[in-house]
Amino acid sequence: MTTDRNVGAKSVKSWKQSAHHGAGEWLAERGTSLVLIPLTLWAAYAAFTVAGGGFDAAVAFARVPLNAGLIGLTMLISVWHMYMGIKVIIDDYLQGGLRGFTLFLNILLSAALLIATGYALFVLHQGA
Amino acid sequence: MSQTPPQTPPRPLSPHLQVWRWHITMFSSIMHRVTGSASVAGAILVAAWLVALAVGREHYTCFLTLASSPLGLLVWFGLSLAGFVHLTGGLRHLIWDTGAGFEPKKADQIALWTMILGVILTLAFWAVLFTTGKVTL
Repeated sequence: MTTDRNVGAKSVKSWKQSAHHGAGEWLAERGTSLVLIPLTLWAAYAAFTVAGGGFDAAVAFARVPLNAGLIGLTMLISVWHMYMGIKVIIDDYLQGGLRGFTLFLNILLSAALLIATGYALFVLHQGA
Repeated sequence: MSQTPPQTPPRPLSPHLQVWRWHITMFSSIMHRVTGSASVAGAILVAAWLVALAVGREHYTCFLTLASSPLGLLVWFGLSLAGFVHLTGGLRHLIWDTGAGFEPKKADQIALWTMILGVILTLAFWAVLFTTGKVTL
């Protein structure tokens, strides 16, 4: 039992993997951040437009193709950005089974948000 | 004799909140994670808004009743604050990514001003919502 026990073949493999994937993740974090700046400001503008207008105004807003596209894009990029952010927090603070379980929940939440958004936009488009 | 362990060794953990001496860049860094996590709740509520809208008038009216109640408005206010502070905190990280702003004094200033800017954007957003009568208490 020496300090060597911390260096398993599996972890060496995962380091090599992360050496190849790291740059892509780094770029995805920055890329989604940059794209989310205008999208978040648009979302604030959209919230202002829809606020106080009730059902009809909101439906009319969401059925404009550009608005529907921007809602979908904002949710897609946000969920991608969120997924990476939550994963970093989990990797920093959780270990073992809890880490695996929360990583699974992260995937589940991301999928649920994208499916809900896609479903809603589809239904709204059908009714147009 | 050293042997390959049967499973991946435990990954090292990050230092937790309590080990840091208080300073502003530590505070803004922690707030970036807090506001980011809070924004997850925001994304869930926006998705719920969209689904309620798609399902129909009755469900949407129910959603609006909750969303426009004082408690609902407080939740939206908190989420918008989290969103704006995360947005300006993200600007700070993008500034760092260019290699600028690492001198301690400058880092402190950027941390302070990006947080203040986030709060100002939030207050301005709600001032516009209330003064235009789009939102009322």
